[in-house]
Amino acid sequence: MKKVIRLVKRNFIATIDTAFLIWQIFFPLLYLFIAGYAYASIIEGVELADKKIEYPAFIASGIIGLNIMNSSVTAGSMIWNDKRTGMFEQILMLPFTRMDYVMSNIITIIIIGIISAGIVIFASIPTVFNGIEISLSSIQFLLLAILLGSIFFGSIAIIASIKFKSNEGFQTMLNTTFIFFAFVSTTFYPAEGAPEPLSIAFHINPLTYVVNIIRAGLFNSIYDFLYIEIIILTIISIITFTVATRLLVRLNV
Amino acid sequence: MSCISVNALSKSYGSFKVLDSISFDVDYGKVFGFLGPNGAGKTTTIKILTTLIKPTEGNAKILGYDLLKDEQKIRSRIGIVQQKISLENNLSVLKSLELYGMLWNVQKRIREEKIEEVLDVFGLREIKNSKTEELSIGQRRRLQVAREFIHDMDLLFLDEPTVGMDPNARRILLDYIKKKVSDGLTVFFTTHIMEEAEYLCDEIAIINKGRIVTIDSPQSLRKRYGSIKMVELRLKEPFDRNVLNYDGIEIDNNIVRIVSDNAEEMLAEIVRRLHDNGIYIESLHVDSPTLEEIFLSIIDERYEKGN
Ligand SMILES: Nc1ncnc2c1ncn2[C@@H]1O[C@H](COP(=O)(O)OP(=O)(O)OP(=O)(O)O)[C@@H](O)[C@H]1O
Ligand SMILES: [Mg+2]
Repeated sequence: MKKVIRLVKRNFIATIDTAFLIWQIFFPLLYLFIAGYAYASIIEGVELADKKIEYPAFIASGIIGLNIMNSSVTAGSMIWNDKRTGMFEQILMLPFTRMDYVMSNIITIIIIGIISAGIVIFASIPTVFNGIEISLSSIQFLLLAILLGSIFFGSIAIIASIKFKSNEGFQTMLNTTFIFFAFVSTTFYPAEGAPEPLSIAFHINPLTYVVNIIRAGLFNSIYDFLYIEIIILTIISIITFTVATRLLVRLNV
Repeated sequence: MSCISVNALSKSYGSFKVLDSISFDVDYGKVFGFLGPNGAGKTTTIKILTTLIKPTEGNAKILGYDLLKDEQKIRSRIGIVQQKISLENNLSVLKSLELYGMLWNVQKRIREEKIEEVLDVFGLREIKNSKTEELSIGQRRRLQVAREFIHDMDLLFLDEPTVGMDPNARRILLDYIKKKVSDGLTVFFTTHIMEEAEYLCDEIAIINKGRIVTIDSPQSLRKRYGSIKMVELRLKEPFDRNVLNYDGIEIDNNIVRIVSDNAEEMLAEIVRRLHDNGIYIESLHVDSPTLEEIFLSIIDERYEKGN
């Protein structure tokens, strides 16, 4: 584990582009306030299990999930970057296993996910979240969502970074896929209001589960299907993580 | 027990056999030179021995550990300077040395000491605050070599470490390696510069097309492959060519050149003939072959046989 921590430290010192990181963390705030308040005038409140919440609060919680997905692109970029600089091979000849390397990338994006969620929540409490109470169980749900979301999307990014021949290809593919993920999910609007086929599509999208878990935690609105969503997300996260690790272990250098 | 003991190692990419059952041993505390033309399989061998890639067949023991089973144990005791430049981006020279020491888990105090040392040895002190992307090729190479001496190791792999270095930097590196070797380090070294190999290596293996052609000390290689390569005799005056009617001789006015495998024996014979005919020798010049010429002749021989 200490080895993984050293690699994580390295990711933050050398591999991640600082400007990108800052953008990644603060961009959602911009979105949150502009979109949140702009739509609030057209969309009234949103029904959430037994509660009704304001639209800006709904979108703020969605943005935490969205940001976990977007940060995970970093996991793939780190591999691209290390391949380009030759540090990828170098690290694999140092006393680290490839598993250590994958773990360090996932942990790095979990940390980014936690920081960005923290910032969104911090900025939202006095504004769009007024009146909500953050309990221990909210934090647990939130961390669970960040953890599973980072593992799932991070693994997807790692797989894409291995499969694509160029960094541009990788970035374009991932960004377009993620835009699709973002809009066909409960990030910006509830599944209930959407027409039947779309609402089904919402539910084959892992981002929906990530966002639902976050919301359930933050607004303390637990419903029966939530636990099934958690189980599904856990299973697909384990599968994608296994695939990503396998691919990286077999990757020829 | 040897430091490196390679047993019938092969590596194929598809149907292309890059390494064809190579075997050799390297003793502790020695410098082993691995020479061969482009594409011979040197880097591939290093990648296998440093556990980066797996051999298709065969095995090896590195520092007593099994190459296929004890990867992590091997990695923790070796150093590697890759042929390709591999430096972190966006970091200063100093920061990138620190980061490398941190990755190797070198204690902070020792790390600082070692960094001070390599900054001086490899002439990096003046550029310690420059970003790695701003460095010249030779400076990058120096940094890449320098960082490897921050951590402790028993065996160091150097894949053409002097490429891009100026003669001074090159000599400093070779002498620093010599010093480390006298303290017990074992070195696996590849280069295309024969003088370097001769200066540094206790033993040299020549590899061509994935096969080891020969392994010997530089001295023995000379003995084996080039007894005396060329003898040039300058005579007092031009003479009748028929006096010296041998194969392997070139005559140019009063200059006689012997270019032959058994030049030594021929020389004795020729001197006798000249003496018998009353021709006097003004000067004699013997050219022993360089390692480079030996290398070329070995590679060439194999090339001709292969075709
Ligand atoms: N990943 C790979 N896939 C296919 N062929 C490869 C791969 N890596 C190396 N080769 C081939 O293996 C052969 C040996 O390459 P290697 O890099 O070991 O040569 P080298 O002796 O280090 O040459 P140089 O002096 O140019 O560095 C080359 O013909 C190369 O094309
Ligand atoms: Mg090479």
